[in-house]
Amino acid sequence: MKHNFYMLDIDLSSETSKTVDITDLFDKWIGGAGVATKLLIDSVPPSADPLSEDNVVIFAIGPLNNQFPVMTKTTAMFKSPLTGDLGESHAGGNFGLALYQAGFHALRIRGKAKHFSYIKIKNDQVEIIKSDSLKNMTATATRRIFMDIYGKEHMQSVLRIGPAGERLSPIACLCVDASRHFGRLGLGAVFGSKNLKALLISGDKYWTLPKTKYNKLYKNIFKEVTQSEIMKKYHDLGTAVNVIPLSKINGLPVRNYSQGFFESAENISGEAMANKHLAQKIACAGCPVGCIHLGDVREMFEAKHHMYKTKRVSYDHEPIYAMGSNLSISSSDTVLKLLHKSEREGWDVISIGVTLAWATEAFQKRLITEEETDGEILNFGDGETYLRILDKISEGVNEFYKDLEKGTAFCAKKYGGEDFAIVFNKNEAPGYLTGIMAFIGYATDTRHSHLGNGGYAMDQKPNIKELSTEDKVKALYEEGIWRILSTSLSACLFSRHIYNKPEIIPDMLKSLDICDLSDEELLKKARIIHGMKYKFKFECGFKLENIKLPEKLLHVMTATGKLKQEEFEKSLELFSQYVKDDVKLYEEVEGQQKH
Amino acid sequence: MAKLLKVINRDQCIGCLSCMFACSKTWNKALTTNKARLSVRVYPDAEGAFSIRICYGCKHPDCADACPTDALIPREGGGVEFNQSECIHCGECIDACVPHALLWDEENKIPLVCFHCGMCASFCPNNVIKLVEVEA
Repeated sequence: MKHNFYMLDIDLSSETSKTVDITDLFDKWIGGAGVATKLLIDSVPPSADPLSEDNVVIFAIGPLNNQFPVMTKTTAMFKSPLTGDLGESHAGGNFGLALYQAGFHALRIRGKAKHFSYIKIKNDQVEIIKSDSLKNMTATATRRIFMDIYGKEHMQSVLRIGPAGERLSPIACLCVDASRHFGRLGLGAVFGSKNLKALLISGDKYWTLPKTKYNKLYKNIFKEVTQSEIMKKYHDLGTAVNVIPLSKINGLPVRNYSQGFFESAENISGEAMANKHLAQKIACAGCPVGCIHLGDVREMFEAKHHMYKTKRVSYDHEPIYAMGSNLSISSSDTVLKLLHKSEREGWDVISIGVTLAWATEAFQKRLITEEETDGEILNFGDGETYLRILDKISEGVNEFYKDLEKGTAFCAKKYGGEDFAIVFNKNEAPGYLTGIMAFIGYATDTRHSHLGNGGYAMDQKPNIKELSTEDKVKALYEEGIWRILSTSLSACLFSRHIYNKPEIIPDMLKSLDICDLSDEELLKKARIIHGMKYKFKFECGFKLENIKLPEKLLHVMTATGKLKQEEFEKSLELFSQYVKDDVKLYEEVEGQQKH
Repeated sequence: MAKLLKVINRDQCIGCLSCMFACSKTWNKALTTNKARLSVRVYPDAEGAFSIRICYGCKHPDCADACPTDALIPREGGGVEFNQSECIHCGECIDACVPHALLWDEENKIPLVCFHCGMCASFCPNNVIKLVEVEA
């Protein structure tokens, strides 16, 4: 049976909602990132202020979500308040399943709520509920409240922002269920600007089991996911397994990218976290891997009576880099405490961590002084001070602390130190000092993420030094295109070694009677989606040639040696050609449609 | 010997819901978790801790006692069998099951009675549920 795909369209300003059939968009743009980009560019003028009611939030899942193992992500698209262009972020949790069970593959939120509110969705029933009592509530407490109220719905999803999103911090995230996040590019602030604290969703719609080889395919993939070695990294120590190996090859950023070797890597490694803190692992709905690692940290708060409290927070490689090695924090207890504060407040942990690292270097270079820091002395390795600084940002004690949550690029422009502000198109860099491909990857990916093309992984391939710049850029581009296909299916990128094999995706799509397209045809669609994303970025004023390699990185030894400015610039130039071709492809396709 | 499902390692659950997907697919041909005959619930106030509510295989089932017709009949070995033609869709059975292990099919207004078939256990990645033999 051929399926129809529907979008729930909510207008906060008029307090109305409707169901829209968007099957044609799924036919054309696959789903997930592809469909969400199209909906975004059709809904938001490039000139829109990201924090005005002209911005919209699109959520979309792919046609295979919930039907196969590890097809668990939801894509969010919005105009980013951090970069001013395409905002894209992906999250797991139960949201993808709850959206599907509510009967939708996409959700659009427009306008601005009259009062501070949350949205409650049950199937196509939408309520916008005033909720002043939730103002300034932490992201973790907000979830507890909703589980308390609506706990009887055993399958629901709770999205919410913390106080950072309410303050419109452009590095605020949107938290999803247990410790998942739409982390990057400031979706939390967009929610805040719409007077939205949270969104609850559940429902009881479903597709029926097809009479195809679907069951057999599902079982084979389930077996591979749970029994082969492919996913072992994720369900064993998790991504934190990277900490020691990266440090050993000089690829782990330390003290704001001063070096790639961390002398205390063993203290904050995946192994140390597992031995000392790991409480349990949990999973996104529909993923038998369970890569979410939750660590406990115990703290005595009154010695006299042996009074203890315990914080539980998720950890991964990126958060450990951002609140660990890059701040030179050598205590795993302190790393988890910093992560817990960020989780409560609702910042993107990479962005806030990189901003703290910039601030420390700026302080040491006397670009900022005790006058700005309210008397705090910033030193790499001083976790107690960083914990206080996070509190001072939350409290907004002065202009400097209010500025810190506007991100590294904003602060460096205002206070100086742009040469050591480790950002790409204003987005704080993820945790790799592996070599030039990591940074070219961040620069060229449409969301400036390490996950968009895996440049950091290319740096670590044994033959990387033998390849020409042309070949490297081509490989980076091709990997990025495959990942656009993956994110348009809203698969978790951790499953890439399961699904990046010939004919698997076409077989899955066929088994559910979605479409009958070959790998090549699907990848061509991904190229067109790439062109569509870039076109929107260009229309918002983005220019690839404006992305600079932060000067500090030119003086640091990476895992693959010193970086060369010329190679960075040449690579961007080479990549520009792929972009031009894909934008042209997109314009041709859209042109054909219009005639 | 009859077979019954048992939760043998509750605290090893990761909350992936693969069991619920498997159950819904097997008995309702539905690609969802909402038709499952068991549920995986998240505890409020303790992120990441799960409670698995599965038919407990009662010898004198409260759900059957509560049923005003003979739609639910005690099953040999524990649990109940469901005679749909006798069901008057009153939902008394659901309320009678204290741990809410008996779930309700909103769409058809009938209880989702566990067959103790073991399909859920076969899709559990962490040995949380097991089909065990019991005295009839």
